[in-house]
Amino acid sequence: MLTMMGITFREGLNRKVMLISLVLAVIFLGLYGTGVHYAGQSFNEHPNPMLAAVVYPQLLSFGLYFGGFIVSFLAIFSAVGAISAEIETGIIQAVITKPIRRRDYVLGKFLGLGLFLALYAALFFIVIAMIINIKTGLVLDGQWRALGLFALQPVVLLAITLFGSVVLPTIANGVVMFMLYAVAVIGGMVEQIGWLIGNTGLQQAGIVTSLVMPVDSLYRKIVHLLMNPTNNPLGALQQMGPFGSMAEPSVWMVLYALSYVMIFTGLAAYAFGRKDI
Amino acid sequence: MDMAIETFNLTKKYGAKVGCAEICLRVPRGQIFGFLGPNGAGKSTLVKMLVGLLFPTSGKAILLGRALGDIEVRKKIGFLPENFRYHDWLTGQQLLEFHASLYKLGGTAKKRRVDEVLDLVGLAGKEKQKVQTYSKGMRQRVGLACALLPDPDLLFLDEPTSALDPIGRKDVREILVTIKALGKTIFLNSHLLSEVEMICDAVAFIRQGKIIRQGLLEDLRTGDIQVEMKIGGLTPALTAALASLARSIEIEDDLVRIRVKQDEDIPRLAALVVTGGGFLFEMNRKRSTLEEMFIRTTGGGEEIC
Ligand SMILES: Nc1ncnc2c1ncn2[C@@H]1O[C@H](COP(=O)(O)OP(=O)(O)OP(=O)(O)O)[C@@H](O)[C@H]1O
Ligand SMILES: [Mg+2]
Repeated sequence: MLTMMGITFREGLNRKVMLISLVLAVIFLGLYGTGVHYAGQSFNEHPNPMLAAVVYPQLLSFGLYFGGFIVSFLAIFSAVGAISAEIETGIIQAVITKPIRRRDYVLGKFLGLGLFLALYAALFFIVIAMIINIKTGLVLDGQWRALGLFALQPVVLLAITLFGSVVLPTIANGVVMFMLYAVAVIGGMVEQIGWLIGNTGLQQAGIVTSLVMPVDSLYRKIVHLLMNPTNNPLGALQQMGPFGSMAEPSVWMVLYALSYVMIFTGLAAYAFGRKDI
Repeated sequence: MDMAIETFNLTKKYGAKVGCAEICLRVPRGQIFGFLGPNGAGKSTLVKMLVGLLFPTSGKAILLGRALGDIEVRKKIGFLPENFRYHDWLTGQQLLEFHASLYKLGGTAKKRRVDEVLDLVGLAGKEKQKVQTYSKGMRQRVGLACALLPDPDLLFLDEPTSALDPIGRKDVREILVTIKALGKTIFLNSHLLSEVEMICDAVAFIRQGKIIRQGLLEDLRTGDIQVEMKIGGLTPALTAALASLARSIEIEDDLVRIRVKQDEDIPRLAALVVTGGGFLFEMNRKRSTLEEMFIRTTGGGEEIC
């Protein structure tokens, strides 16, 4: 299993996807840093604490939202063919005929990619948090827990994409996973609108999609952790808009996301265990 | 006798389509076993079941004394797949080290073994090159090297020389013979009958998923002797007399080709010609080549559906 994990991790580093996501990350963080820099500067020149208290957190959630986007894309791209592409090329044939259990092959893939993605996400989060902290002086609560959740986002996607990679061909899996991800994103927005206009139907739709794919609710939880509205009179204002989080997902949502990861990894191992190659 | 491979009614169906059906094989340890058959006969299907890529629809098999699916026994089994694709972004050496780790080799044993197999397959000096940059034959060699890593007691090779040049083929034959001399068993899928003929002890023919003939190469050969005769004054009565002894008979002008079961039939044929009033100008015993045997037993391309 460790061997599989090692090779998967190395493969992740080796792939073009990695290079592209790094370039994307650098471009994104560069632009983001510049934006935050000028925002900070203008507030320094014309101090307006009220407005700053609303805009800074919005900037932060904006960064985390699109950062999550990039990390999620990387997760889907790197996992979409993790197993199916090896079956399609035949690379797998000389590998799983070795003294290694099939479930260890799947777990090795999961851990290798998971480690790789979690590290990438953590790095991303740290850079964003640093930009915000240095440029705006905003002090973030619950940073470490938020970091953990941010790193959990791609792992959630990885688990289900890996399962898809066992039961579907690479291309089909890619299509399905992007659709699922889109559903989560749109569902999250719909729910946000639902809270804004007080429509329970929309709220419930959002809850259902976050059960199908809990990535977005993790993001909403992160925003809450970082900007705790209870000790901040402007909290409600900060949490408005598509990147905010009007209703805090409960801790159960986090547990749900964790079990989601375990269930889909388990399913992947189970399905692979009886698959003809 | 101690068997390396035993299968009992091993069957694989792809949906309604038969991959291979009710395969019963016994391969003793220390043999090179040739598994022969036309394209699509089910050779790769059988090997894939034995190495654990496919799950049998029914039947069972025992490899090196362990039931199919045993993980531990795989430490002593080598496998070269038909399409030999590998992680080609690794160098030859990295690839072999990775496969050695999968075989749970470690430390100095790993290093030493990697060097040994590189040497054995003739890739020494190329190990720092990425597998991407290897030629097709070099890839097949590196695949063979992977299969040889654990110093296997049982080696499955699915067309191991399909991409090799004549010298490469000879090298591989020599490697296989050396391994056999160490008491190892080799299961060889191949179309290249002249090669199989040179090194195999026993063969089985498969066609449309069913084994139609198997045995030691020697026995299969002696089971069928071809005699070619040039006979003057051939009469229908004489022909009939000859045909009664023969398993098959072909006549072309004065040339008669006859297949008989045993050596003793050869002088009997001569006697028949003489007593039947014919003139025997020439008489040759032909060794049946594997190729003829193959074409005959597998039906020479004609389909029986
Ligand atoms: N994945 C599959 N799904 C459906 N049918 C298959 C599959 N794999 C093989 N077959 C069928 O099973 C039969 C046996 O195939 P197999 O690959 O074992 O043949 P083979 O003897 O190795 O042929 P070749 O000499 O061309 O390598 C063929 O009729 C083939 O069409
Ligand atoms: Mg084949």
